[in-house]
Amino acid sequence: MNGRMRVAAASLLALSLTLTACSGTSGQASTDDVKLTVWSWDGTVEAAVEGFQEEHPNITVDVVNAGSSYDEYKALDNAIQAGSGVPDIVMFEYFSIPYFAIPGKLTDLSEQAAGFKDDYVPAAWNNVSIDGGVYALPSDYGPAAMFYNQATFEKAGVTEAPTTWDEFYEAAKKIHALGDEYYITNDSADIFMLLSLIWQAGGRPFDVDGTNVSIDFEGAETTQAVEYWQKLLDEGLINTEIAGWSDEWNRALNDGTLATQITGGWLTSTLPERAPDAAGDFRVAPLPQWEEGPQVGAENGGSAMGIPEASQNKEAAFLFLEYFTHGDGVQTRVDEGAFVPNTKILESDEFRNQTNEYFGDQTYNAVLAQASENVATGWQYPPFFEWARTAYGDISADYYSTGNGSLAEILDEWKTQMTDYGNEQGFTVK
Amino acid sequence: MFIAPFAVLFALVFIIPIGFAAYLSLFQDKLIGGQVFVGLSNYIQLFGDAKFWNGVIRVMVFTAIQVPVMLIVAMSLAMALDSKRLHGTKFMRISVFLPYAVPAIVSTLMWGFMMGTKYGLIGNLNEAVGTSIDPFRPDTTMISIGIMITWAFTGYNMLIFYSALKAVPHELYEAAAIDGATEFQVVKMIKLPALRGSLVVTIIFSIIGTFQMFNEPQILSSMVSNSGITTYYTPNLYAYNLAFTGSQQGYAAALALVMAAITIAIAYVVQIRGMKDALE
Repeated sequence: MNGRMRVAAASLLALSLTLTACSGTSGQASTDDVKLTVWSWDGTVEAAVEGFQEEHPNITVDVVNAGSSYDEYKALDNAIQAGSGVPDIVMFEYFSIPYFAIPGKLTDLSEQAAGFKDDYVPAAWNNVSIDGGVYALPSDYGPAAMFYNQATFEKAGVTEAPTTWDEFYEAAKKIHALGDEYYITNDSADIFMLLSLIWQAGGRPFDVDGTNVSIDFEGAETTQAVEYWQKLLDEGLINTEIAGWSDEWNRALNDGTLATQITGGWLTSTLPERAPDAAGDFRVAPLPQWEEGPQVGAENGGSAMGIPEASQNKEAAFLFLEYFTHGDGVQTRVDEGAFVPNTKILESDEFRNQTNEYFGDQTYNAVLAQASENVATGWQYPPFFEWARTAYGDISADYYSTGNGSLAEILDEWKTQMTDYGNEQGFTVK
Repeated sequence: MFIAPFAVLFALVFIIPIGFAAYLSLFQDKLIGGQVFVGLSNYIQLFGDAKFWNGVIRVMVFTAIQVPVMLIVAMSLAMALDSKRLHGTKFMRISVFLPYAVPAIVSTLMWGFMMGTKYGLIGNLNEAVGTSIDPFRPDTTMISIGIMITWAFTGYNMLIFYSALKAVPHELYEAAAIDGATEFQVVKMIKLPALRGSLVVTIIFSIIGTFQMFNEPQILSSMVSNSGITTYYTPNLYAYNLAFTGSQQGYAAALALVMAAITIAIAYVVQIRGMKDALE
């Protein structure tokens, strides 16, 4: 060994000692450098990586945006099938977790995450718990809420935001009376909105127990929600011409002809860009209620992060996962605009008292935090929901474009197709 | 021995992929239970699949209407260019061909915005004239797609026709002029027969092209609501959705092979007929 090499070896040794020292505090004994690959479409991931790497300099985190959620699931399925290129941490929408968890493609985190349960709102924890295991940790949340344009409401003579669905119906009539292009909201086959109504009413159409799935849209609570929405559609009070996220949608929100959106709290982050002219007009309110009494909420969207069973770096992956969804990373992400289901954030005054000029200086986070805690639990998604939602689009296309049929018929046909598909895929569906 | 390089390439780029698709089509990928050999049951299921036939009939009807319209327009343009009676033929040639160079994704977005009823050109027209034309209703979407595709491919077909006309020996026209032939007779006796070979080629290309329709419905489905576009609107779209949303790769492979067989059969019939006519 010549002199230069000896110096190099010594500095390497010193380096590895520092690495050990740093990682020692977090319980990671390995001195090897680990490279984690994270697949996510969430812009706040990058922000959290910096803080994490300060704590764990031996772990490099490579964040890859694998496309929209739908593209990401396809890519993950392909990587798992090919047995290579499987990422260490992946972001999932809540409804897609059973699809990966039930066939054993995700790591059960129930041991490492024991005791985390009470740190999240109950419904979020419910989303990641499947068959007694914990297959992901909740990273952001979409409590269903009502975003309403106060200016349009006032023009129509609705002085207070509707607090029950009956009041919502009355408001819908008044708003449509303003003119043909005025509607209380739009719906062109939005399955998540319909499901959130059913969810709030207490309907639980899907029941999953391992590979046994049962589907039932006939329950009294489900029927109540479906019939209510059918009534609004029948009376022409809902705009069925405008698809969410389209250019037309942006314009209608912008000029106030669409008075409300019944959707997830995440709309706060995109509404100001989509409807800049409506600045100061929009407010956030809890979902109208089916009955007077204690507030019941529902969920519309949100996501979690899990570790694929095929990951090579599960220990390090969990360190990041914990930091990101439970530890210090959460505050960093909240500062970046993330809406998280962590109770310590939702209950903090700093978070609740935040205001936004766009929402007329309303403390909108307080409404959304309360809505998150009100979300009713016990909801389950079938493990083939990603497929089912596209099937729903096909089935409902005819009704929404021609008016032939009804929501009940659509749901009935949906159930038939889901049953066939599920059984074909190896589940027992009834 | 001399065909060895060809045989190797042929096997590599043609036989192996098709063989693999045929192999895949005998399996079913289950979420629970993994890959299972199912024999020919994917094919049996496909023949009874109303969604599949819905798409097949749609593209067939579309082909029967759109291809003749497009080819007649292309042929007329080619003859107009060839007549040498127009000024600025170079500019015209380029401008008719240009849409072909626009990627289908871009052109669909462009047409989608233009035909929008709320804020697009059609919207302005409706407002000005008081009509209520909606190009993207379940019964009009296919016509709108036909307009997009005609716009995109007319120039390409026109160029094929135009080059066939260019190849006609000049002496023929001189002889016709000496014989006192009218312009109509020249078209009928010289130009149309000269186009026959290229007509067979363009028909076959157009049939294959429309049978493989994918981009336009795929993009429009997320652009406009209530257009009637389903995930099985065309056979290609159906195969894509089966493979990627339903993870039914085996079924999608069976569908692709059946579609390939149908397309080849139709193209073959066109070719045989075209050849026979050309020989007569």
